[in-house]
Amino acid sequence: MADQKYSKFDTMRRIGFLQGALAISFLLLAAGLFYFQVANGDTYVKLASQNRLRILRMVPPRGSITDINGAPLAVNVRTFNINGYPVDLQKEENVRKVTELLNRRGIPMTEEKFRETVSNQYSAPYRSITVATNLTFAQVAEMVMDKDFGHILFPTPVWKRSYPAAQYAAHIVGYVAEITKEELETKDPGAYRGGDIIGKNGIEGEYESVLRGAAGEEVIEVDSRGRKLRDVSYVRSSKGEDMTLAIDLAAQRYAAELIGKYRGSVIAMNVNDGSIRCMYSSPSYDPNPLTWGISSKEWAALTDHHERPMMNRAISGAYPPASTFKIITGSALLENKVANQNTTVVCRGYFELGGKRFRCWKHSGHGRENIVTALRDSCDVFFYELSNQMGINGLIRTASKFGVGQKTGIDIVGEASGTLAGPEWKKKRIKENWYGGDTVNYSIGQGYVLMTPLQVLRAYAAIANGGRLLKPRINTKAPVESTALDIPPDVLKLIKRGVEEVTRSGTGRRAASYGIKIAGKTGTAQNSQGEDHAWFVGYAPVDRPQYAVVAIAEAGKGGSSVAAPIVGKMLNFLINGKKYEEEKPQENKTPAAQGTETAADREH
Amino acid sequence: MAERFSTSWSDIKKNADWLFVLVTLFLFAFGLAAIYSASASFAKGSAAVSGFVVRQIIWGGIGAFIYIAAVKTDYRNVMKLAAPLLICTVLMLTALLILGHTAKGAQRWFNLGFFRFQPSEFGKVVFALALSKLCAALPPNTPRGIGAAIAVAGAVMLPIMLQPDLGSSLVYAVMLFAVFIVAGMPVRILASIAGAGAAALPLLWLVMKPYQKMRVMVFLDPTVDPQGAGYNVIQSRIAVGSGGLFGKGFMHGTQGKLHFLPEPHTDFIFSVFSEEFGFIGAALVLLLFAVLLWRILNISQYTKDMNGKLFCVAVAAWLWFQIAESVAMSMGLAPVTGIPLPLFSYGGSSILVISLALGLVQSVNVAAKQDRF
Repeated sequence: MADQKYSKFDTMRRIGFLQGALAISFLLLAAGLFYFQVANGDTYVKLASQNRLRILRMVPPRGSITDINGAPLAVNVRTFNINGYPVDLQKEENVRKVTELLNRRGIPMTEEKFRETVSNQYSAPYRSITVATNLTFAQVAEMVMDKDFGHILFPTPVWKRSYPAAQYAAHIVGYVAEITKEELETKDPGAYRGGDIIGKNGIEGEYESVLRGAAGEEVIEVDSRGRKLRDVSYVRSSKGEDMTLAIDLAAQRYAAELIGKYRGSVIAMNVNDGSIRCMYSSPSYDPNPLTWGISSKEWAALTDHHERPMMNRAISGAYPPASTFKIITGSALLENKVANQNTTVVCRGYFELGGKRFRCWKHSGHGRENIVTALRDSCDVFFYELSNQMGINGLIRTASKFGVGQKTGIDIVGEASGTLAGPEWKKKRIKENWYGGDTVNYSIGQGYVLMTPLQVLRAYAAIANGGRLLKPRINTKAPVESTALDIPPDVLKLIKRGVEEVTRSGTGRRAASYGIKIAGKTGTAQNSQGEDHAWFVGYAPVDRPQYAVVAIAEAGKGGSSVAAPIVGKMLNFLINGKKYEEEKPQENKTPAAQGTETAADREH
Repeated sequence: MAERFSTSWSDIKKNADWLFVLVTLFLFAFGLAAIYSASASFAKGSAAVSGFVVRQIIWGGIGAFIYIAAVKTDYRNVMKLAAPLLICTVLMLTALLILGHTAKGAQRWFNLGFFRFQPSEFGKVVFALALSKLCAALPPNTPRGIGAAIAVAGAVMLPIMLQPDLGSSLVYAVMLFAVFIVAGMPVRILASIAGAGAAALPLLWLVMKPYQKMRVMVFLDPTVDPQGAGYNVIQSRIAVGSGGLFGKGFMHGTQGKLHFLPEPHTDFIFSVFSEEFGFIGAALVLLLFAVLLWRILNISQYTKDMNGKLFCVAVAAWLWFQIAESVAMSMGLAPVTGIPLPLFSYGGSSILVISLALGLVQSVNVAAKQDRF
């Protein structure tokens, strides 16, 4: 009997239950539809229209960068990429067609490699992928004419940055590369997108906002493959602003030639307006591969290189200023009335403090020295003894006026501030008291004080121009800015006389024999890691100074033998407009000498 | 058992549930409109109507013939063939599995030239027949009854799962459960089966292929892969949502037209329809489906024959699951499974097998009314 197994009533009830469940489930579905279509309909209408609309950003060419004479330092090259959609490129017949097309147009490609290219870039069937890059206009024009091209492929123009001056202006101009995730997070989200290029360094980095221009927008309606159906709107992009730098490319090349194999830098600055005519850091690097994309291995090789070619030593290298610092110590002594022009010290070749002997570089001693002769002879004992009397605080006060320990504010990134040091600094950093010996060392630019070549140059430019501490600038359009040194004019005059004596009859005589009369100072910085660093900083013409030049050669031993000729020749080049040629009287110099390289130019 | 049942034309005319017929025809017509719109951009050259619409009309015509034939034949006569048909189905599914294995890929159909015959679709109606017959004779309230039903279900579901076609095997599972409910399985056993099913879901994850896992993952969070697998979910929801209250109008859906929807004429047909006809249109279709299923369950209530009762329940559960899954999927509320929307989606197998099932349900109705008078 069926009724014993289950009751009819129960079955009816259970079917009724199913009908109830059915009704509830359909009500839920209807509620879902209501939620998406009515309650949130507007959101999805917007999404649907965005779906159909593709906003294409048109990144404008960056502003070009030229040197003071109009020589190109950074330019844009128009190249083309060849793109296609995976839905098309994955078809067997098209693989063959495209491969043949590429080969026909001189781009080597095998079917195997082509399939790999497509699958490597594949993200979705309607996201275009790049088949070939860096094609010229002529190449693309030829390809577009090909019968197979139009159905499967399309060209996209791409601006590439190129640096014709290559390694000669790398540290100044910098380079551009793809924006990093970190940069993307800090930049204005309206202006940048992933994959954009951005200035990374030097002028390219500092003046990014000027050079970049504004991206345009083209709004088009597309189908799901991203194929254009029609134009919707168009906003023109605006090109980045062109820049003219104060840099002279010829001087850059000359600086590279003069410093040769040494690590170090050469900087030339106009002492009246602070414009930088030359800033070369050695060794240098070619920024072009960085812009076009290098492997992480190549990048590591560049950044981990023991000579650190990417570092701009002119502004990032902090060195002991050594004897070049004596103009600052001298100013301090005069300003603090510890000495006047008649004060003399007898140099016996050493100065004794607390039972310790501080040697003069000339072990036999200089005899009686005043401020002018002490600068001329670079006599250490004169500065040891009087600075010890004055104390460290007076010295630091004056050094601070000359900008020691402060960034110069030059318009490229990566500047170091150096170290002003002093008792408080030592207490904080090394947890030790300041000793008299520290002051003695400090007085000749050794010990805790560190300066960048640019800071040293700026101090000398201030002596040359009569007391204005300039803000160095590379962009010709940057305003001329300076601060007064706040040091009495007679003090500066006396120091200036001393510096002029150096090249007339003192340690820097060599610098004065390259076709122009200059004033300047040598320096030999003790280097705990190896040979001494050679400094020379000077300016010319002596009567009405125009340019100041500094050269530092790491491990170059003596300032007078290595660095002085570089400065002398560079000043000659900047003021007389020609390279100095040895063994020839100046009158016989050929006008064509500029830009040519002769063996005689290399002096050792 | 040798008794032959016969239904006369006049009986059919008098006793047929005409509302049921009308709703079926309406749904098929709406489906045609959606296919017409969805496949408009596939139309080649000057042809005003794409091949999909023409073929769907042909399938519909054949379906109508099958429907009438089913009513005329009487479901009780068909029910006698349940066991041999089931054996045939299992054999076909197994053959497909072996073929698919040698072809190194999933294979779901036999290509008969004019039409791809899909045994897992055909199997649904066979399974409904066999299961209702079995559970009517041997109710699932004894271990023996339950064991037999599960053995039959397993024989059909296993080869489908191995294809792998998880979506279709879920349809079978839902049919089985609904029949268990109505056939008088004790409530506590029903509850434990439901519990065990829920507990087995994680196990399913282990046997799923990577693309299946991806579908589930993008269902949980479409942004996991917005350009790939999640794309379909996002685009479909945009299509449905952007339809708004009144829709964008027939042939004016942009999502479907511009190929943002994959498979717009089959899997995502409801999205196309909702985009063009809005909430009003979509709700109307839901209402029609609800009426259809309600009628089927009413017939199940009405008939005294346990075979017919359970068969109607099985068909209702099958259609319900496919409708609910398809509609929920279009909103991104269920994973993408590729289950067709009954009467709507383009596809011969689906239309023919549903025509057969609905024809048999109609036959249950006609026979029940005959008995009463």
